[in-house]
This record gives sequence, C-alpha cells and structure tokens, in this order.
Amino acid sequence: MEKFAQVILKFRWIIIIVVIMLTAFLAYQIKSLNINSDIISSLPDDDPDALLFKKIGEQFGGFEMGMIILETENIFQGEVLEHIRQITDSLKMTDGISSVTSLTSIIDIRGGEYGIEIGELVDEYDLPDTPEELINLRDRVLSKEMYRGVIVSEDETATLIIFTLPDDADAKDVATKVKEKVNSLDLPENIYFSGSPMMVTYIAELISDDLKRLIPLAFLLISFILFLGFRTIRGVLLPLLTAVIAIIWTLGIMSLSGYKVSMISNNIPIILLAIGSAYTIHVLNRINQCKEKDREKALRLALSYIIVPVILAALTTIIGFISFVFGAYLSMIRDFGIFTALGTFFTAILSIFFVPAIISALYRNAKDPAKQDKKYRKSILSNNVLAPLKKLLFLHPKYILFTWSILILLSIGGTFMIKRSVNIQEYFRKGNPTRIAEEIMTEKFGGSKPIFVLFKGDMQSPAVLQTMIKTEKYMKESPDITSTQSIADLIKEIMYVIGEGKTIPDEKDKIEQLWFLLEGNDIMSKFVNEDLSEGIILSKFVSPDNEAKKEFSDYMNKFIEENSTEDCLIEITGMPFVDVTMDRSLLYSQLGSLSIAIIFVIIIVGLILGSFKSGMYSTIPIVASIIILFGFMGVAGISLNIATVLVASVALGIGIDYSIHIISHFNDSFNKTGDIQKALEDIIMISGKAILINVSSVAVGFLVLLFSEMVPLQYFGLLIALSMVGSSLGALTLLPVILILVNRKRQVVN
Amino acid sequence: MFKYTIFFLTFIFFLSSVVAQDANSILKKMDNTMFSAKDKQGIMKMILTNKDGKEKLREGILMQKGTGKRLFRYTFPESQAGITSLSLPGNIMWLYMPAFGKPKKISLLAKSQKFTGTDFSYEDMNTYSYFDKYIPTLIETKDNVFVLELKPRSEKSRYLRIILNVDNTNYFPVLMEYYDRGNNKIKVAKYKYVKIGKYWNAEEVTMTDLKKQHSTTIILSDVKFDQGLSDEEFSVENLNQNKK
Repeated sequence: MEKFAQVILKFRWIIIIVVIMLTAFLAYQIKSLNINSDIISSLPDDDPDALLFKKIGEQFGGFEMGMIILETENIFQGEVLEHIRQITDSLKMTDGISSVTSLTSIIDIRGGEYGIEIGELVDEYDLPDTPEELINLRDRVLSKEMYRGVIVSEDETATLIIFTLPDDADAKDVATKVKEKVNSLDLPENIYFSGSPMMVTYIAELISDDLKRLIPLAFLLISFILFLGFRTIRGVLLPLLTAVIAIIWTLGIMSLSGYKVSMISNNIPIILLAIGSAYTIHVLNRINQCKEKDREKALRLALSYIIVPVILAALTTIIGFISFVFGAYLSMIRDFGIFTALGTFFTAILSIFFVPAIISALYRNAKDPAKQDKKYRKSILSNNVLAPLKKLLFLHPKYILFTWSILILLSIGGTFMIKRSVNIQEYFRKGNPTRIAEEIMTEKFGGSKPIFVLFKGDMQSPAVLQTMIKTEKYMKESPDITSTQSIADLIKEIMYVIGEGKTIPDEKDKIEQLWFLLEGNDIMSKFVNEDLSEGIILSKFVSPDNEAKKEFSDYMNKFIEENSTEDCLIEITGMPFVDVTMDRSLLYSQLGSLSIAIIFVIIIVGLILGSFKSGMYSTIPIVASIIILFGFMGVAGISLNIATVLVASVALGIGIDYSIHIISHFNDSFNKTGDIQKALEDIIMISGKAILINVSSVAVGFLVLLFSEMVPLQYFGLLIALSMVGSSLGALTLLPVILILVNRKRQVVN
Repeated sequence: MFKYTIFFLTFIFFLSSVVAQDANSILKKMDNTMFSAKDKQGIMKMILTNKDGKEKLREGILMQKGTGKRLFRYTFPESQAGITSLSLPGNIMWLYMPAFGKPKKISLLAKSQKFTGTDFSYEDMNTYSYFDKYIPTLIETKDNVFVLELKPRSEKSRYLRIILNVDNTNYFPVLMEYYDRGNNKIKVAKYKYVKIGKYWNAEEVTMTDLKKQHSTTIILSDVKFDQGLSDEEFSVENLNQNKK
C-alpha cells in the first residue's frame, strides 16, 4: 500500500491536471442535461398493466390532456361564465393546443320534435346572463351525465376547462404558456392546474427550484460543520471540492449518456455532497493524525493506512445504491441507483488520488506534529464527548448492550405499523396548489387517476357496443367509479336524440350510418382507433386507498374473465392498477435490495478484512439502526413511498462506513499492540472524531432536504439523517461493546 | 399650403375609396364566378389524407341550386352509400340515413363543426356569397392575382381573417389562408378552376389543416350546369326517393 501511496504522490501534478481537464469537459456537458418529471415514462415495459397503460395513453391521447380548475361559490353566474369564456378563448389561441372543451365550448346535441340540433351548450357570443337563462343552463348541465361531474361539479362550485395537446407538442412549453396566459387574466376565482402536462411541468419546476435552493444551503451548512471539525480552511475546502467535482462528473456523464434528471435523481447532488465529503474527511483526519515530521512520509503513511477503509466504505456504499438496479419497479429508481453509485465511486477515487495530490502539491510545509497531536487531544469533541464515551464503554458494556436490545425490540414492534403509499397527492406539501387541484379532482370530478378498459373487436358491431355498455354499468356499481365515457354512450345519445330510443341499434348498418354524424369530431380519436378495431371506456378512480384499488382490480378481473370473448377481447388498465403493482413492488424491492446489500456487504467486508466475523460484526450497528429506522417510520406514520423506499439501502451503504472504519482501525491497533484498551482508545479518539465530523456533515447535508417542496424527499432527508445518527451511534457504542465482549474472552484465552 | 393639404387629403380619400371599391368589386366578381350558374350537378370525390399519408376515399353525387340549396348523396364507401344530406337556407340540414328510413332534421348551431370528417367546416362549405359574409380589403396585386384580406361581417366567425388570392383575369379563387382569432394561420385552401361551357368550375379543392397536418381534396367531375333542377329535387320529401 505504501508503494501505491508513493505512486500517487509522485504523479500528483498529472493527477491534478487530469482532474481539472475532466471536470471542465464534463461541466460543459451539464448544460444539455434535461429534467424528466414524468412518472409514466418510468413505468417498466415488462409489467403488462404498465405496458398497456402506456400504449393506450399514447394511442388515445390520454396523457396529453391538461385541465384548468376554476373554483368559486357558484359557477352559474354571468360573470363566471364570462371568465370561463376568456380562459377558453385564450387557450384556443395558444400554439400547441389542439382542442379546448369547457362550459362555453362544449358540443350539445338536443333532440326535439323537429329533429336534432347540433350546436354548443351555450352561445359563446351571447352568454346566458339573465337569472332565467342561468337557471336553464344549470338545469341542463346537471341533468346530463356528459356534463355533470365531468365539466361542472355536482355542487356547482367548480368547473373544468380541458385542453388537449397534439402528439408532437412540447408539453412543457404549452404548460408554461397556459399558466402564463391564465394568470395574466387575473381572475377573481380560484384557479388550479391539473392533468399530466401541467403536473409534469410543475414537478420539473419544483425539481429545478429545489436544486437551486438546496444545493447552496447544503454547501453552507456542511462548510460550517467541517470548519467546526477541522478548524482549517483546508479541512473545509478539500472535502467540498471533491464532492463538487464528483457531482460535476456524475451529472456530466448523465448528460453525455442521454439520461435525464428525474424526481428521484434530483437529489443526487445533495447525496453526493453529503457522502462525497466523507471519504476526504477520513483521509484528511488520518493525515492530520500522522506524527511524522517529514510531510511526504506522513502523507504516504496516512494514505497507506486509509486507502483500504476508504475503498471498502465506497464499495459498500456503491453496493447500497447498486442494489436498486435489482427489483426496482420504476426505471427512475434504477437510474438513480446507477448514477449515485457512479458518483460514490468518483468521490472515493478523488479522495484517494486527488486530495493527497493537492495536499502534497500545495501544502509543502507540515505543521508541528506534536502541536497537532496536542491540539487534537485537547479538542472539545475529544474532552467532552469521546473521552467520557470511552470510559462508559469500558465500565458498562452490558448496559449499553441492554439499551440497544430494548430499542431494537421496540422498533421491531413499530415496523408492523409501516404503511405504504403511492398516492401522488402526498408528494406535495399541504396547501400546495397541485395538491389542492388533486383534492378537488378527487372530491368533485371523480378522481384524477385514469382507468382505461380496452375492447378489441369491430367497433361498429352491435354486440361489442352492447358489451361496452354492460361493462360501464358494472363499473359504475363500484363506489369508486362515478362516470364512464365511450363511443357506445355517444351512439346511444344520438339514437335518443333522433327519436330511436336510448339504446344501441341491433343492426350494424344503423351504427355505420350514425357514425357518419360523429366522424371528424375530435372526441372520436379519444374513443376508437383509426381502423375501428379497438375502442376504450374512459373512466376515473376516486379513492386514493390502495385496498380499494386492489378490490376494484379483483372486481373487474372477474367481470373480464366472464365477458371477454374472441370477437370482443377486454383488457383493463389504468393508474390504480399500476399503483397496485407499484405498491407491491415497493415492498419487494425494499426487501430485495436490502438483503442483496447486506449479503454483499458481509462478503466484501469479510474478504477485505480477511475475516467473515468482522464482516458480520460490521453489519450489526447498521442492521440495528435500520430496524430502528423502520420502527420510527411505523410509529411516526411515515409511509413507504417511491423516495422513502430508497432510505434503508442508502443508509446501509453509507452507515456501514462507520463500522468499517472502527473495525479496521481496531484490527490495526489490536494486532500491533495486543492491548484491547489501547485499541479501543485509538478507535474512539481517532476514528471516533472523524466519524462524528462525518456524521454531522452527512446528516446536515441530508436534513437540507427537509426544505424540499416534495414531501417524499423531505422524509427521505429526515430518515437518512436519522439512520446516519443511528448507525454512527451504533458504530461508536454497540460495535465497541461487542468488540470488548468478544475480545475480552480472546485476551483471557490467550 | 392649406389648399394643397385639402387637395392631398381629398385625393387620399378618393384613392382609398377607389381601392375599397376595387376590393368590393373583386369579391363580388369572384362570387359571380363561383355562384353564377343557376344549378350544378356532378360527381364528387373526397380524398382525406392524414399526417402519415394514409388516405380515405368517399364518393357521392352533388346537386346544387343557387346559393342556398345543396344535396349530397354518398355512393362510396359501401357502409355510407345512400346517406344523403340536404342543406337548406338558415343553417338547416336534413339527413337521410337509409337504415333508419325517415329523414332527420339537423340544425347546425356550431358552424365550426367539421363537415363529416373533412377539413372543411360547415362555415367553409356553405354556399353563401363571400361578399355577404366578409368585408374585403385589397392588399396587393401580384403574379396575376389580387390579394384580398377578408374580415368576417359576423362576430361569430371562428376566423379573424382570410387572405384570399383571386385570379385577376377570370376572378376565381386560387388560394385562401384562414387565420384563427389568435391570428395564427390554421388552414390553407388551394383551388384549381377549369372552364366548362360558359362557367368556371372548381375541379379540385384541397383544404389543409395546418395544426393537424390533415388534408381533404375534393374533386368534382362530370359537372353539368343549368340543368333546370327543380325545387322538388331539394325537398325533404324527395330524400327517400333519392335512395340508391
């Protein structure tokens, strides 16, 4: 190892130049890094529900629909109608919007003794304004299923202005324009935006705002902690510099390889900032502890010791992140795992090569080691925290073990209280406009989670259309379905207005001829495909509750089994179905990635330290802190969601580092001296200090996520910080106690 | 100096009225070219092309009398053969569907509705004189065409304006560009006129929806003018008899 360290110091300038050039090159690449906030694009292609959902959404344009919710005391007022018209007009004139449906521009087919009247519900140039006209409009809207709860809420307080985007439209561009235009009208009613294009754009904005706000904040706080710990400029600059370079490299490579920042991977910079500084903290700490007067030699010695624990720590952290590749349902979680692992690799490489190179190139004059040693021995941290801790460990190892056991037992109870959630509403803070919009959609417009029932067969066949009607009727018997729409409904409606009764005709030629009336209407492409071989029932699901989704899924599958035939093949999908699978996969991927991570960590730590026992011991503090973490989640009511599912594996990857430093330092010291007391003093006073500085900076870095606009990220930050504190405490108390108890016997035997 | 100013202003006023008159007379002449025949009949073929280049074909027989009455009977595709639409003054349409037996009256209150799946709206398809519907302004004269800007007389039009190119010798339309109320160009119609006897006839019209990249070409063949079509041909009672 010493030779290796020598090589690093010999080529210090080459290392520095290569790092600078690479950083400049990759920093330039970041400018073309884009944000993709669309969860749907992250759904896996090997899940039939998700695949069908994506296919139908793309084919029938279900995802390219945006909604503006206008909420006021009562919609049926002259002034409110005028405002709806203003929004409608403004949207109609917006590039990238192909159609707008609202109370002032919705088709109305009326039947009368003279025939059919095809027109609009209201005359947009002569809006109803007298009390009588307004009452007439209200009665008509509330009496028809195609308007009630679809365009105006039943309680008359909210209305939707729905717009569609053509396939090739830039959703972000359109959504931004829509928001600008509607806001510029400065209307007195409450206005909210909903629907996929608006939501995706809004989340992208949140991600970008989060990054802009949180990174500088994390930077400041970590600098402060580092300064407190090291009390030197170098101690602040070098850890941050390596983290920043690793972030630039990771984002640059993300951009080069065509990946986009998602609502999960947006926290990669924060994570790298927190854990990236950790390796450098240990390298610096070790260099500072070296009592050699010759700077070059001191560096070499420090390096030769620290390389193994740093590589080991990085490897285990990488395993934690890589474990997401296996069993992750959403591709954005998999991508997050890959790139955070890559970033961790970079930080380790930089702390081993770049940090010593910089120190050896720029800090030629060593400080007086004796003075350094005195300073380190006398620090507040050492006197007030570490020394009493050392004493406690020796005097009461069994009490410590007992306390941990009680804590773990209590936490195991708490883990049974953990809930899982894939409800998008919970992603936003209370009072966030998007959350309110989702709530209004759920309460007043039958939900926002689309359900598609796909029918494969001749769309002009009476039998197929009748099956569609039967399916809709069956669906509406579920408490979570308030309305359904399909081509069969339109045919029935036209039959009614032409005086033939509200029914599906028995003869195909009648349907073919009624089609003539509908052809060319924009709505047709939402219901049937071009060659009329496929059609869908569009519906929405009310309840955000997962059990309700599961029940509905079973309820519908039973119907499909009984009614799907060769001539009329029925399939069902939709966000609730995807949610059920996503929810199940949250649990499986959590268990999967965690067990993969634990097994690999034991193997790798065991291999490198030359003892599987050490491997096992090193995982005890982190496994204990993960159990406490789950217990806390259960008791505090923090649900397992797409962000918090990452916590355990990330905590394992990062938290194990503390144990690794303790065990490798203990082995090193114990093997040299054979004195357990001396070994323990060393680990607590030297590694303990690095661990405390490290855990404070990592925890503070993650706690910054509490200021994120996205709720899952807030919890993610809080939980990681908690488990970091837990695993460091485990490494500094539980692990030494185990080492004391195990090695006391060894000493006695010897 | 004052005198000169008065003279100049009078001249400008005079000139502008001449220009306005010119625009009016050009549009009236175009109306005359388009609608001068007492009646017209022929075979109409519609080719609908979507943005992937996929085509749909429809065929039928067209009969038209004056500017207010038009009857169209589909002969192809098979499933729609026999469907007949009869447009009468006052935005009223009667529709005869053989499978249902009796004609149904349809009042078209929404003129921006598409005409049976084509890129023409009912507003584009009606046979009222352009002068009655629009106020013209002459913008320029170039390459054998007058370029007019038409602004709808009715506030209810979905168009803000239409840029119209009229052949400056024979006064038939060559090109129309439709702008929505946000002043975005949304549709373009291209006309190909040929002379049949003493009348000019739109042999081919292609309307392209620029947003949807969808186009409709109407080809009119076997055209006969002034055949003395009676009002009876355009009566609701007659719809049943028009059955194929």
